[in-house]
Amino acid sequence: MASLAAALAVVTPTRMELLKLKQRVNLAQRGHDLLREKMDALIIEFFEILRRIGAARAGALKQLSLAYRALSTCSAIMGTIETLQASKEARRELEVEISTRHVMGIVVPTLEVEKVERSALDRGYSLHTTSSVLDEASREFEKALGLLIKLAELEESGRAIAKELERTKRRVNALEYILIPRLRAALKFISMRLDEMERENFTRLKRIKAMLEAET
Amino acid sequence: MSFKVAVIGDVDTATGFALAGASYVHVHIKKEETFAKLGELLAREDFGLVLITHRIAEELGAEFGWMLRTKKLLPVVLRIPDKTGYMPKVDELYELIKRTVGAKIVVRAEDG
Repeated sequence: MASLAAALAVVTPTRMELLKLKQRVNLAQRGHDLLREKMDALIIEFFEILRRIGAARAGALKQLSLAYRALSTCSAIMGTIETLQASKEARRELEVEISTRHVMGIVVPTLEVEKVERSALDRGYSLHTTSSVLDEASREFEKALGLLIKLAELEESGRAIAKELERTKRRVNALEYILIPRLRAALKFISMRLDEMERENFTRLKRIKAMLEAET
Repeated sequence: MSFKVAVIGDVDTATGFALAGASYVHVHIKKEETFAKLGELLAREDFGLVLITHRIAEELGAEFGWMLRTKKLLPVVLRIPDKTGYMPKVDELYELIKRTVGAKIVVRAEDG
């Protein structure tokens, strides 16, 4: 309430000020409505993304656990050191295409990968010192990586939207609970003050009239 | 623009993703080293995606969260489970929902 009193202290009770305040309240109200709409739209978008994240995550995790299993099979059959060696020999030049996209003014990245799954020859490790289980493990990991890249895109979008949502919510609340009530209070103060002045004037006139009548 | 992929994980995770073609893998041994590496990766321009296992992310703790909040748009950082299938109980994404929406929302994965 202290802030309210402070806000009232600076307003001068004039008709000009009253008109200005009325305009400001209207503007604030319009801004508030717009932001509210934006927030609702963001929430819808957010839930859509969440639903997709749920599905993508389940798929990626399943594939990843398959990949880990294939890798342990590989280490068991081929030997840990050989597997490690092969991983060092493997060609490692996966490129992810990243561009940005705008969802309601929010920048979200889109990740795309041309071809994650490679043929055994493209992988770069020596084929006659390695076993086919290594190919299997590599393939599973490539698949998992592909799914994880998609998941990363979704999660990042989700995070960006959540951030924006939080910001919008804070602005809506600031307007709704602080700015608009404060303006309305000032508005009320001025109109009360003006009414009061009018009543004062009225009695003053009455009194003057009575005095004039008494003189004649 | 094309970007490279980096992975920070234990030996097996690193091996697996190296086989899959990730350009850079870091095997996590000491916290300080991983921190330094992560900072370098986040600052670099040519990496677009960094995968890090949940276990290591958790070990790095709050400072890791701070790094994520202050990073640029790229690289995208994704936490993945390691070979034990370890998933933390507190999912950061669901924490985020709780904070933004103000209620806990369980989203079911749609199958089929």
